Order: sequence, then structure tokens, then C-alpha cells
Amino acid sequence: MAFRDANARRHIGLQQLSSLASTGRTFLGPMKLHKFIVDEITNQSSLICSAARLIGSLDLTNAAGQLLNETIQAQNKEFKTGVSTLLFLVGVWSSAVVECLQQNIPVPAIVSLMSEGLSSCCERIQCLQIPIPDVKRELSIPINSCSHQGDDCNFKKCQVSPLAGFGSAKPALASVVKAVGDKSPPVLSGRGVPASSCLTRKLTHSRHFSTPGKSRFSSQQGNFQPYWDGMGPSADLCGCCGLGHLAVALSHGNQTSVKLLQSIAAHQQERAECRGSSQINVAGVATCCVLGLPESYSCVSPGFVTLVSPEQATVIKHFADKTLRVLLVDGDLTEQYRHLGFNRPRNVRTILEHPNPQGGRAGDTWLRRMLDILMSFEVNLVLVKGNVCEDFMERSVSSGILVIGCVARDVLRAFGAATGAQAVTYLSQLDASCVGNGAQAELWKARDGRALDLGELIPARIGAGGIDLLTVVLTTALPSKAQLLEEQFWTLLYRLHHALKDGKVFPGGGAVELLCLSHIQALAEQPGPPGNDKAMRELPSPWLAEYKSIVLQALGSGWKRYLSMLLCNTARASSELEAGTLVDHHLQTAAACGSPSAYILEEFRRGGVLRSGSDPFPDQVTDVKVCDNVAAKTEAWRRALDLVLLVLQTDAEIITGSRRSQILNSPMSNEFMFL
Amino acid sequence: MSRLEAKKPPLFISEPLTGDAVSQSLSVLSRILKSSYGPAGRLKQLHNGVGGCVCTTSQSSTLLGHLSISQPVLRVLTASVRNHVSRFSDCGLFAAILCCGFIENFRSLNVAPFTVIKISRHLLGLCMEHLKSEACGCRVSVDFSRVETLACLVRSILTSKPACMLNKTEVDHLTSLVLKAFIYTVPSRVETNVVLGKCVIIPVKGRRVVDSTVFPGLLIEAPEIQLGKPLAVKRTGSNMIKIALFSVSMSGDGFNPEEGTVAVHHGVSLEVSELNQLLHVGKQLVKDEVGLVVCQKVMHPSLKQSLKENGVLAVDRAGLSVMEPLGRMTGSQPIASIHSLSPGCYGTLKDLCIESFASKHFLRLIPEDTVTCSLILCNRSETAWDELKRVCETAEHMLQLTVKEPFALLGGGCTETHLASYIRYKSSSLPASTFKDLDCSQTQYQLVADGFCRSLESVARSLSHDGEEILTDMVYGHSWFVPSGSPCVSKWSDLVSRCGCGMNDNTEDLGWRFLQGQSGCPVIQGCPKEPSAKVADLLALDCFAAKCSGLQVALETANLILDLSYIIEDQN
Repeated sequence: MAFRDANARRHIGLQQLSSLASTGRTFLGPMKLHKFIVDEITNQSSLICSAARLIGSLDLTNAAGQLLNETIQAQNKEFKTGVSTLLFLVGVWSSAVVECLQQNIPVPAIVSLMSEGLSSCCERIQCLQIPIPDVKRELSIPINSCSHQGDDCNFKKCQVSPLAGFGSAKPALASVVKAVGDKSPPVLSGRGVPASSCLTRKLTHSRHFSTPGKSRFSSQQGNFQPYWDGMGPSADLCGCCGLGHLAVALSHGNQTSVKLLQSIAAHQQERAECRGSSQINVAGVATCCVLGLPESYSCVSPGFVTLVSPEQATVIKHFADKTLRVLLVDGDLTEQYRHLGFNRPRNVRTILEHPNPQGGRAGDTWLRRMLDILMSFEVNLVLVKGNVCEDFMERSVSSGILVIGCVARDVLRAFGAATGAQAVTYLSQLDASCVGNGAQAELWKARDGRALDLGELIPARIGAGGIDLLTVVLTTALPSKAQLLEEQFWTLLYRLHHALKDGKVFPGGGAVELLCLSHIQALAEQPGPPGNDKAMRELPSPWLAEYKSIVLQALGSGWKRYLSMLLCNTARASSELEAGTLVDHHLQTAAACGSPSAYILEEFRRGGVLRSGSDPFPDQVTDVKVCDNVAAKTEAWRRALDLVLLVLQTDAEIITGSRRSQILNSPMSNEFMFL
Repeated sequence: MSRLEAKKPPLFISEPLTGDAVSQSLSVLSRILKSSYGPAGRLKQLHNGVGGCVCTTSQSSTLLGHLSISQPVLRVLTASVRNHVSRFSDCGLFAAILCCGFIENFRSLNVAPFTVIKISRHLLGLCMEHLKSEACGCRVSVDFSRVETLACLVRSILTSKPACMLNKTEVDHLTSLVLKAFIYTVPSRVETNVVLGKCVIIPVKGRRVVDSTVFPGLLIEAPEIQLGKPLAVKRTGSNMIKIALFSVSMSGDGFNPEEGTVAVHHGVSLEVSELNQLLHVGKQLVKDEVGLVVCQKVMHPSLKQSLKENGVLAVDRAGLSVMEPLGRMTGSQPIASIHSLSPGCYGTLKDLCIESFASKHFLRLIPEDTVTCSLILCNRSETAWDELKRVCETAEHMLQLTVKEPFALLGGGCTETHLASYIRYKSSSLPASTFKDLDCSQTQYQLVADGFCRSLESVARSLSHDGEEILTDMVYGHSWFVPSGSPCVSKWSDLVSRCGCGMNDNTEDLGWRFLQGQSGCPVIQGCPKEPSAKVADLLALDCFAAKCSGLQVALETANLILDLSYIIEDQN
């Protein structure tokens, strides 16, 4: 065991946090700059655009870094959003806390005041929450017309310029930009005029939907292939127009995903009405990346779309319109596979008394037995959660059975519910009640029927009557972008999901942070402790007054630097200094008008907070109102502060295990003590 | 070729306490422990240094469990503290810090160890007598018909470990949950032998603390349960649910030999025969009208399928922690072998239902007369959850101990300074016969008593981590903290706000004095008073039984260590 004093006044842990967090600054706000992560050993690189992947790919050996990674991944797992906010705040609050330490403020006072300050802010900003039913009204009060659309597109284009560095990026980029102006929503298949005209009317004030679409009809029709007509949502689409607004507001400018999201919302709406809930069913959505098509071909298909080999594609072609008998397997489909928790026997020896050289390989018997089982139950389609052994794949193809491996659990569940199939672990468990009925398979076609002979893998679509499953097919010409697109889509889906779950959203674009800042200032001037905390109760009042103002300012500085960085990243300020001045100006105006929350809400309604006269793209702010998730945002703040305070209160590292000699020989050995 | 090596002779170390290495290690250990003490205590990051998970804690059980200590003297100390913690859960750091203090203070006295031991035992006797007397000023009685004092006790424990990362709302929420859980474990019918039930903690990590909740009955995670469908469960004639509880693995790998080799003929599959045996057990369970099968470990999918087809609910991977309460509440005997099923081993349940929580699904088992409850405990991060779990367990244990002895001691250092001023007062007024009985001089007695008091006060001083000065008052003997870096103040009452336990404030002049290190300790003219004030609502309180035991353990251990004259180390 070794023991090391970590801290004192120059707090190492906090310094580590603040320097790690500074790597993710450009991910803050809607205009994210991409990053390359290069593996020095394999020389492989990947394109990333999220704080979770950035911190996840760093080699974090120190304890503070590990805790940071844990915090980031926990937020990402739960919300899929708010991660960059979390990372940024960890950084700025760490530095702010170090400054408090340098002014000799005792640790318990920092912990207590910061934690009470944050709680108080979270309560204060509740008045800004917009209930979901009101979102549509809040968002559709028009201020400016959308006449500057062209500029806007150009603006967008230069913002995503890091991508333009690739020669091959050009077509994809062009198509993204085109999608803004030219394309109408590929959203709502529906059956006819009433639906889309309703949609057009409702969405006129959004720049994404403002172009009168001559070609709207044909493009929509193509989006869902004819035989899906019966499965598309019914004509009642007005209900989801509210969701449409919400999706746009939560997308923070990601148009491609918005359309997909609206399409999902429309499809799920119908089902949700039957269930009596207005939530988005995240488990009923899958994604599939198809390379080689422009991004504008992305769409939502009912059922399960996945990539199959050419041999499997042949099997699918043979199926034609046949309804398939389906089997679900929740393990691997290999001879060696055993269920989790089964310990493989190590000391069992098999004695073969009469060797039979013609007997063939043992694996053959297994293959034959498994195929016999499938044949005897007339199974045509097997969806497997885990891996499928290659030999089995080959044999099943030649027997006309389609076997698909690595299928997500939720997809299996959806097929189980729709076809009545019950998942088994081993084929030997199979009996008639396990096999489901009524699945279909076909090759997936792009909406213009474009051939998809794109290489080794071919997208195929597997459906079943009434299945509660949609697959978002994400098309891109750039392989390196596939993962990014997928991540961005999921982020957005989760934002919508959480917005509906919370039942409310925050006005975005810095509105809540601005109110927090103004609240912190008011709080710092109030006498008495912010909460009824024991540590504060014991503190005599002269100290309390001094500490309170410094610590609360430190807390507030986190949001101030957040807002400044946001303004810089969106090119609304050229420097942090300029941005800071702008924030101060708005703070003063808010304070002067008596009710900061009323001022902020009014500014939001007028097109967004933190606007300035010298804004280079004034319309860019005014025509899109953005919203943020309530729980995801406040949880990100809380997790960030918790991490900073946890590291702040740590004064020593204890290395467990018997690595005494290793530590003694390391260059840092003089920092350690032994017992 | 083997080689025999001569045995090394054992190593004798005489006067083990005089060595430099020992005192250095002792002071490092004491620093680690002192710096972790109390609600403002500093946290320690425990990790293996090569990327393993990081545990942030200030709990004695975790710290002492992870320290590998080479000094035998220190190992004696940590072993007795860990033993104390295993019995009382609370006051581990208190005992350890106090023990270090005793060793340090007594060792520097120029008094023979056996005299020190005799005198210190006498002093301990005085303390215990005082703590158990009605007049004791640092003790409050706990009224179980009112929730306030109980809430103070729980709250003090929850706030004593900062690594739980709780804010005030969360502390309040958890306080009420812990109390609720405790009440669920008290049997509703009073018999001569009251046995308290058990609260099982169910982990849900990554969620907000305020999402935590408590259910009567036992929750078992059942991920395979289908939500939409109503729960159909087989009942016996008397409308009860028969339950079978397996502690043996039913995954079908039972033929796996621990050692040695099994040889089988080609074509014979041990796996198949094992599975057949399992399926046979399944048939027996169906025949015996069992409605629910719970397996601590893994069940073979084929067995689960076969049970399901026959209308029997099967839950596997229940885990060790639920086995004991499950057996107790259903009256079933855990079945440890799949070869023998006696009808007597089944238990019964009154009802079953499904609870969903944070995308997890649970089966809730409701027995006839429930004294078992499940606390779904949430916290945002892994390390904060781990810390919180131990804290909640400590709080539950503390409530159980308090039922036996319905008292609490003042926290925040007030009990320590109060006891010290009591001992200072008492030792100055002892009759001469006492010294004769103890075979010591009055000076020796005074020296040891002074060391004893300084050790107690050093525990109170350990609550200060940011250079706060510690004061005591001349009326109640409580402890008061003054922040460092004083702004200019003219009155004592500006310097102090409220005493450590929160009972007294600065409204009347209590005669504050600095509690200094080595000399000039104040002596109260008379016994420290019992506060007349009503119990305030936010008192810091400590578990009476745990603190009394901690005091005794600390002194006994220190005496044992002081009495060591040789260490014999086997070097082989």
C-alpha cells in the first residue's frame, strides 16, 4: 500500500480535470467542430464529434481522469445529451474552485455554498420551463420572415467547413445543404392531401418547411414503398405537428435528423394513441447505416433494416412475398456456445472406443442436427442476438433459411411481440409454440428505387404485420461519417424522448444559464446562507458574508464562461472578452427591468436571448428557436459540480495491492509513504 | 531435484514501540484517519494505480480494509477497529483516532506502562459511569414515539460521509426513507422475543438520489418478466404461493469436477444427463404445486422454459444478498442440491406483483407477515453509490442498536470535550484512597488523566480540517469551531456561532476558552452542566452503543499495544 498527499493549495486533481475538460470546448453549442482521434499504435483514426467519445478515447490513467470518464459515460448512457455541457462545466468549475482555494476559503464552505447555490438556481429556473402542450405556441410566434434563407445556408456551410477538408466530402456536404432548402419533409407518408396541407400550414414559420413544395407529393410517395401504405399513420397528423416543432427546437440545427425524427413521431403517434401515452418509444427504433448513397436518402422504414451478404440476399429474393416462420435465438448460434453462467467442464475426457475415420468432423453432426430442427419446424427466418458460426450460415443459405446474427435485444422483442415467437437459447429447446409466424423479407430500396448493389453488403428489410419497430436508414457517401450520423440521430431521438418524459422543456440558446447568472448575483447580495446547511449554520456571519460572495461568483463564472464560449463557437462574438461584455450587458438589462425571468422569456419569444445589434447574422438567431431538455441539463450541471466537489475534497491517493517495489522504483517514489 | 532450505530463525524485536519506523507509520496512519474524520473530512482515492476503478471514500471500514500494513503494531490496531466496526458499523474512525491518540500521549509519559494501564482503566470506568448516569450532560434520550431525535441520528450519519455527495433535499429524503425502512422491519405483533427484520438494499446506479424509494416485501430483479401481461401465478388450496429457493447453481454444469478427471465414453453426454436431471427436478416442482422458483445462481434455459410452460414463475441470478431474508420471510430452506427435494423445504408467500423502476423490472414478494423491506437506492456515480450504501447500512444498524439502548450522544466533538472536562474536574477531586488502590501517586494519576483528556480532545480537534481553532465553553464543555483567517471581530460571540452538536448558540456568554494543544487546558469549576435547552431540530447525534464501544476498544487496544515488549516475527 502506498499513500500520497494529492493536494494542498495547488490542487493536482482539479488541475487535471480542468486541463482534460479544455479539450472538449469546441463541442459546445450547435456548431460543433469535428476531431480526429488517431491511434498511435495502429495508426487508425476516427472522426468524432462528441465529448463522450473524446473522453472515452483518451488514455486516462490518473484517478481524476477516470472519475471524469465515469461521469461522462453515465450522463451519456442516461440522456445521450448534455455531455459537452457537463465536460465544459467540469473544466470551468475546477478552475473557479482552485481560485477560491487560493483565496483561502475553507473546503467545506466551498462545497456547501456551491451545492446550495446550484440547488437554488435549479429551483429558480423552473419558472422558465415550457410545458410540452405550450411548446407549439411558444415556438410559432413569428418575428421575422424567412427571407434570408440563402445566407443562412451559406452560413451553415462555412460552419461545418472542417469537413470540407476532404475532397470526397463535397458531394455529401452539398446534399446536406441542399436538403435545407430544396427538400420538403420526407416525413409523413400519410395518404393524401389533407395531411400534408395541414402540415404545411402549421409549419410555415419554420425555415425548414417554408419552401412551397411542388414536388412534395412525389417525393413523399417514394419515401415509403407502396406496400407500406396500409401501415403508415392515418390522416390525423395535426397532433404530431406539435412534436414537429419540438423536434426542430431540440435539434439545434441538425436538419437531416429532424426529418427522420418527425417521421418516427408520426408513425409512433398512432400507436401511442392506442396505448394512451404520448411518449416516444426508443426501444422501438433501430438504425442501419447504408454507405454509398447521399445523405438525403436517409429515411425511416417500418420493420427491421439490416445489411446482408449477397448469398443471403439471394435467399430473400427467393422468398418473394411469402410469409415467413420466424425463430428468435437469444444467444450465439455456434456449437461451442453455452448460456451465461455455464462453466465449461475442464477435466472431462472423452474416450472413443471404436475410432471411425469415415465419421467426418464432429461439427458436421451438430450442423446437420440443427438444420434438421429448423427444417422440421419449417423455419425460414432466424434472428440471432449473438454470433452465428460461418458454416451454419453457409448451410442455412443453401437450405433456403435466412439467418441473421447480431440482432439487438429490442429488435428480437419487437419480433416476438408481433409474430408470437418466443426466444430460445438453444435450438434443441425448440417446440411449436416458440416459432412465430407472419414475417416478410425483401431487399430494401431507396425511395427512387435506385439499385443498391453497392458492394459486399446489401440492405434488406424484414417486417411483420403490426410490428412496433422502425428502422432509421442513415445513408452517407462517407464511411467515416457513418458513426457520427448515427450518434447525432440517437442524440436527437433521446432529446425528444426525454422532453416528452419530462413533460416540459427549457427555452434554449442560453436562456436558463442567463437566469442562473442573474440569480447567482442576487443570491450573493442577499444576507444569510443560501440554504439551511449545517456547515453554514456553524459559520459566524462575518466569514459567511465574505465566503458567500466569492464562492457564488465562482459558481456563476461557470455559466458565464459557458455563455461566452457558446457565443464564440457560434461566431456571434469574436473573442471571449467580447462575448463576456455582451453577457454582462444582457445581465444588466435583465436586472434593470425588475424581473429577470420575464425579461429572458420575452427575449426568447422575440427570437432568442443574447442577441446583439452587431450580430453578423441577425436572422440566424431570430428564426430558429431552440429548446433544451430539462432533466438532462440540470443533471449535467449537478454531475459536473459533484465531480469537481468530490475531487476538491480528496486529499490523498491510496494505491492498493502490493506494488511496493514498483512504486519505489518509479520517479515519483518520493511522493509516496508506506505503512 | 528438490532442495531443502534450512529454516530461518524467528526475528525478535524488543520494545517494539520505541522504533522510528513504528512511530513514523503510526503518525502516517493517524494522519490518514484524522484527515478523513467528520462531515468535513477529506476523501481518499483508493485505486490500484493501473487503471482499476477508483473508490473515493472516508469510511474506516473501506480504508482499513484496503490498507496493507507491514507493521505488526499497527495491524493490532486496525484489526481491533475493524472488529468493532463489524459489530457496531459506526464510530470506527473515532475508535481508531482515539487509540492512536492514547498511544501517542501515554507513550511520552514517564510512567511505567502497567501503571498507565491501571490508571487509564480507572479513567475509562469514570467515563462509562458518567455516560450511563442520568446526569450525563452529553447524552440525550431517544423517544421512539417521536421522529425528531431519530431523524437527527440518521441525518448525522448520512452527512458524516461527504463522498455520498448529498445536498440538503437529498439528505432529508434519505433520512425519511431510512426511518421508513426501519419501521417496516419492526414486527407489528409484540411477542416476548422481538426479532427485527431486514432491509435489503437494491442498487440502481446512475439515477438521482431523490428517486430512491422503499417497498415493503422483497424485490428481486426479473429482467425477463413481460410487463404488458398480467402476472399469472399458481396458488395452493389455501390461496398461498408455494416457493422453492435454490442456492445451488441450476445452470447444468454440476458435473464439473473440482479436481481430478472424469472419463466418459464417446456418445455419452454429461451435459444432457445433467439437463435431464434438472428437468426431472422441474417436474417434481410442478407436481408439488410450486408457483415460484427462485435460484441464487443461473438456471438452464431449458429448465426455465419447461417451468414456464407449466405455469411456474422462475427467477434466476437472485444473488446471495437476498437469500437469507428470502428464506426467513417465506420459511423456506434454501435447497443446496438438485438431487434431494424434500417437501419440507418449500416456503409460502401471500402475494406477488411486478414493480418497474428506472427501466428495471422487479418481482415484489409479499409474505404473510412482513418484516422485510427493500430500499431502492439511487445515486449518480458508482463511487458515491458505494459510499451511500455503506452509510445507509450503518444508519439501519444504528437504529437497531438504539432500540436496545434508547440514548444518543452529542456529536460534533461535544461529547469528547465534555467528557474531557468532566474527567479533568473529577480527577482533581478524587479521594486519596483511590491512588492507594491503584498503587500510584497523585501526580502520576494527574499525568495519565491529562493524557487521557488530550486524547479525547484530539478527536474533537480532528473535526477541524481547514485550520479552524477549537474552543470549549466553561458551562457545558461543548466544542466550538472558529474559522481561520479571522475577519476583525471584537466579541467572543462574533467569533463563534453554534457549538459542534448544534445545541447551543452564541446568545449567552458561556465563557469560551481556546482548547490548546499541550498545556493550559481549562478546568471547569464544577461538573459540566447538562444543557437546559430543548433538543434542537438539527442536532448532530452519535450512536450511543457504538461510541461507548469505540471508547472502550480504543483504550483496551492502546493498553495492549503499550504493554507489548516483544514482537516475534516468523521469517520463513
